Amino acid sequence: MTLDHAEELVAAPSSPGAAGPTRRETWWRVLRRDRFAFAGLVVVLLYVVVALTAPLLLDRLGVDPYTYHLDALDENGAPAGWGGGISAEHWFGVEPLTGRDLFAIVVLGSRASLAVGLGATALAVLVGTTLGVLAGYAGGWVDVLVSRVVDVLLGFPALVFMIALGAIVPLQFPHAPRILLLVVVIGLFGWTSIARVVRAQTLTLRSLGFVRASRGLGASPGHVVLRHVLPNLAATVVVFATISVPGAIGSEAALSFLGVGVQPPTPSWGRSIGDAVTWFSSDPMYLVFPGVALFGITLAFNAFGDGLRDALDPRAVRR
Amino acid sequence: MNARHVLRFLSTRLATVVLVLAVVSFLTYAVFVLLPANPAAAACGKPCTPERLATAQAFMGLDKGPVQQWWDFVVGIFAGRTYGAGAATIHCPAPCLGYSFQLRQPVTDLIAARFPVTASIAVGAAILWLAIGVAAGTVAAVRRGTALDRGLMVAAVTGVSAPSYLVGLLGILLFGFTLNMVPVSGYVPFATSPVDWAWHLVLPWCVLALLSAAIYARLTRAQMIEALGSDYARTARAKGLPEHRVVTRHALRNVTIPIVTLFGLDLGVLLGGAVITERVFSMPGLGSLLLDAVGSTDLPLVVGITVFSAALIVVANLVVDLVYGLLDPRVRA
Amino acid sequence: MRTTRTRRLLVAATAAAVTLGLAACNANPTTATTSTAPAAATQEGGTLHILTSQTSINWDPATSQNLAITTLGLVERRLTTWDAQSGQPSKVVPDLATDTGTPSDDGKTWTYHLKQGLKFEDGTPITAKDVKYSVERSFAPELSGGLSYHKSLLVGGDTYTGPYQGKELASIDTPDDSTIVFHLKTAFGDWPWIVSMPAFGAVPQAEDDVAGYTAKPVATGPYKVASTEQGASVTLVRNDQWDRSTDDVRTAGPDSVVFELGQEQTVSAKRLIADSGADKDAFGASFVPPAQLAQVAKDPSAKDRLVTSGAGALAYLAINTQAKGLTDVKVRQALQYAVDKQAFLVASGGATGGEIATTLITPGIAGRQDYDLYHADASGDVAKARQLLSDAGWQNRELRLAVDSDATNPAQGQAIQQGLARVGIKVTIVSQPDDVWTQTVTQGDGSKYDLALSSWQPDFPSANGNIQPLFDSSQIGQGGFNLSRYSEPAVDTLIAQATAETDADEAGRVWAQADQRIMQDAPVVPLIFTKNSFLHGSNVENFFIPAFPAYPNYLKVSLGQ
Repeated sequence: MTLDHAEELVAAPSSPGAAGPTRRETWWRVLRRDRFAFAGLVVVLLYVVVALTAPLLLDRLGVDPYTYHLDALDENGAPAGWGGGISAEHWFGVEPLTGRDLFAIVVLGSRASLAVGLGATALAVLVGTTLGVLAGYAGGWVDVLVSRVVDVLLGFPALVFMIALGAIVPLQFPHAPRILLLVVVIGLFGWTSIARVVRAQTLTLRSLGFVRASRGLGASPGHVVLRHVLPNLAATVVVFATISVPGAIGSEAALSFLGVGVQPPTPSWGRSIGDAVTWFSSDPMYLVFPGVALFGITLAFNAFGDGLRDALDPRAVRR
Repeated sequence: MNARHVLRFLSTRLATVVLVLAVVSFLTYAVFVLLPANPAAAACGKPCTPERLATAQAFMGLDKGPVQQWWDFVVGIFAGRTYGAGAATIHCPAPCLGYSFQLRQPVTDLIAARFPVTASIAVGAAILWLAIGVAAGTVAAVRRGTALDRGLMVAAVTGVSAPSYLVGLLGILLFGFTLNMVPVSGYVPFATSPVDWAWHLVLPWCVLALLSAAIYARLTRAQMIEALGSDYARTARAKGLPEHRVVTRHALRNVTIPIVTLFGLDLGVLLGGAVITERVFSMPGLGSLLLDAVGSTDLPLVVGITVFSAALIVVANLVVDLVYGLLDPRVRA
Repeated sequence: MRTTRTRRLLVAATAAAVTLGLAACNANPTTATTSTAPAAATQEGGTLHILTSQTSINWDPATSQNLAITTLGLVERRLTTWDAQSGQPSKVVPDLATDTGTPSDDGKTWTYHLKQGLKFEDGTPITAKDVKYSVERSFAPELSGGLSYHKSLLVGGDTYTGPYQGKELASIDTPDDSTIVFHLKTAFGDWPWIVSMPAFGAVPQAEDDVAGYTAKPVATGPYKVASTEQGASVTLVRNDQWDRSTDDVRTAGPDSVVFELGQEQTVSAKRLIADSGADKDAFGASFVPPAQLAQVAKDPSAKDRLVTSGAGALAYLAINTQAKGLTDVKVRQALQYAVDKQAFLVASGGATGGEIATTLITPGIAGRQDYDLYHADASGDVAKARQLLSDAGWQNRELRLAVDSDATNPAQGQAIQQGLARVGIKVTIVSQPDDVWTQTVTQGDGSKYDLALSSWQPDFPSANGNIQPLFDSSQIGQGGFNLSRYSEPAVDTLIAQATAETDADEAGRVWAQADQRIMQDAPVVPLIFTKNSFLHGSNVENFFIPAFPAYPNYLKVSLGQ
């Protein structure tokens, strides 16, 4: 749902031409002043670093999310010991029924969430911007076609179709990497909102003085789009992308939660959360660690995105 | 608004509606026909010999190509449909959205039975989130920059970031099992007992509302700030109008448009079935019916519900556009 | 019969909780004792609630695979039924008929007489023609999906397509209103068990409704269907035409029974643990998942209300003997040592979940012999496995493990995966919903899987049900459950010999021989004999799990006052 609402949260500047090229010092300084947003950025970067270095990190610490430690479980399969098996060996405890190290699972699980979240958003932004600009600039039947495609996509119950596609594609293409499939599926259902916003802005831009002048001077449409339209869209698109990432991460988690996302034994926060809820009465920490991890990245991206939007949008009220 | 305008508007929009529904239903058939499971297999029995499978398939109309199947479906919506022959004939009266062989009922009946549940969840939550969201957003906008504003927006960002299924499940654990304040699952029809009906819905309403209210609060705040800083607001203040009048009389009315737009769409989507919410709270609504249908590859049921949900969304789009036209003075005339 | 069990919370798949399997258990009663010892007198009254994850109940006997002592047995009586008591082996006893059948013609003809004075819920008398009609309609393609053992045993069953085109099945005779005679193709000593299956009830032709019978059957049992709320609940009330004096196995204690539909396995378990309000009068139709078993272990009051069966179904790993590399028996024997059965047991709930298995015939079946051909630690013998693999010249490749997402929890598939990872074999888990999985493994040429995780209980307590459906070469593909696609003429001969054998002891001996002979070829890895656990509320009495099947006997449950 966040993906669909993001467009409303990005106020389209009415006169972007007047704002001129982004003054880098100013927006950065504004962002720095907004401590909530800045904290969000720091946290995001932290997560990215952890995700990128995860295999090395785990190697150094001597833990991995695949090895079973049945000795850490009691006779019912629940983790023995306090806090779900927290010990010097297992910092976050162990997973019930398998004894796998939860710290390793959470750390490595960040890769799936970030890869899919960032990848799907990138795809959605790419497709959405391209189609939005096309529709807004070319107008006519192109615009009608794109708008109808958007209407159709909006009519689908997205989650259900993601589930169905998650079931079909592996059977038709058995060797397709799961992460890629998730990126494509989530991205495919997410480009519509950005397309609409970009289209609206392109329409406005197209009618502006300097653009008309450029066209009047005989510049080709490609030149106009590249030199005039796209740079002025940049701010909107960047903010939009940032705000869309949490939604994509959430979608991956929801799909893994329902069992059709990242497959075992590859760790995934969504899948762990889904499992952990049933264990909550006997092992609450099993939910806390991946739950906080997921919540953390989502909150951080949202806070950073808000701050970025406020900093880049010339009309937004400074706090 | 003159009548001819409205008529022309309606007819173009209706054309869109028909197109969208046709494409959605066709794509659904295409996608699900590609699914590895043969829906006839579920009705085949043990042991399932190829002959029995073929007979089951022919009976269900699955031996025809996807285009033909889709066309039969479309015709069935207007004229009803008949499966099989002789004593085992199954009649599906118009509007026939398909027949579920696994549940042995026309899809239309199944939808009609489940829709009140989904509608109860959706409408109740929608009213709640609209009220909370708009109120919180307005307060935050009016008091912008203060600690209250900050607090509300932090709460909103938190609300937006929390996954709904997690909040729902924790809510059940806390309010249902631990504190024993609300029932943990199930739906009671309004006709049976209005009190029980509401009681079973309190938790789903709160969970859905809380998360959506956060979004609406942020939206309202942004729009309100813009409206309160606009020229006519300043003129009104200069004319001596008290602030609260500026808020209610002028600003709110301007905020209404984007909020109504969003609200209509959200409600439309939700009426098609809040899949995860219904699962979490064990509510027998459209969303969980659809999820079950996908899992058991009950193709007719999947297509029927998808088309119904899509219809709700496009109708919601249509209504929103109409209301938008009514509300926005710039669109009129 | 495969066991299907609901998956835990929030899975995009149907749940089919009220299951179909039957298991022969050992004679030892349940390990967790309850306050509702079977000896308690049955009190009448109250409304019993049954929490199930199914979203609808199928009351049509032609399409049902239900057990005789669970849901359908409350509403439908059959020619025979099961006397399933706690702590004793279960017996087949007469229900609509006066005895369990009179064989003649060397066991190829079976004659039954109906009891006097039996009536449907509307007062019309039950006649032999109604029983014949019920069996006939189970052959109709529109009503396929039910248990089909009788379809290949009755003469003409292979070509008969049901009564809806006006044709009758000649091999069923009804010389008068209370006599019914079945003509079989070959002698079948277990026929009394076959006529305890759902198709052998009574359906009045005048009230037959292909589409509607599943929701509104004509009752012959102590209860009838009063109302159905789609997806929410089904309510049964007393059938006043049911004659208690003609029925030895049903106590009909509660005045009414309400099935609460769509209750997720985990939610049901949690509600029953909490035991508040109306849940005191309820029990769960779904197994208690491992997470809640752990919760119960720490809750003294819930512990008393948990009932666990004896070791019942066989959970096993089927090896596709026709897949590349797996045709070599040495490779399959290596897998016997490579699999980590301990991890699988833990993933199934630990000690409460089952016991390590080494034989194909399940405990409690007459004539069963216990043996351990590939003796090793419960967690396997990695060194020996590696040795066997290199001896066989194993060309390492990735193996696809087909898993039914409705019947297993993810940890079980992962336990197999990690076990084989220890010997360097990478396993990809292909998790599919129930019907897709069934199609993948029972249909076609088996090219889509190398390993399959499955569970099997015989539909009636005879070694026949353990061996024939899984290992007879006639059961490969086409819907049969020979998932390992194992074909060995010597074994087929043993199976035929045992089936035809009329002396029970001798038959048992031959079946045990077949068991060991099959394991020498190692087409499957026996994993555990599963134990099923169920919870009930504090006001529920006479709730027990008999020796066979490993499911509670719904027909005896009653409420306290």
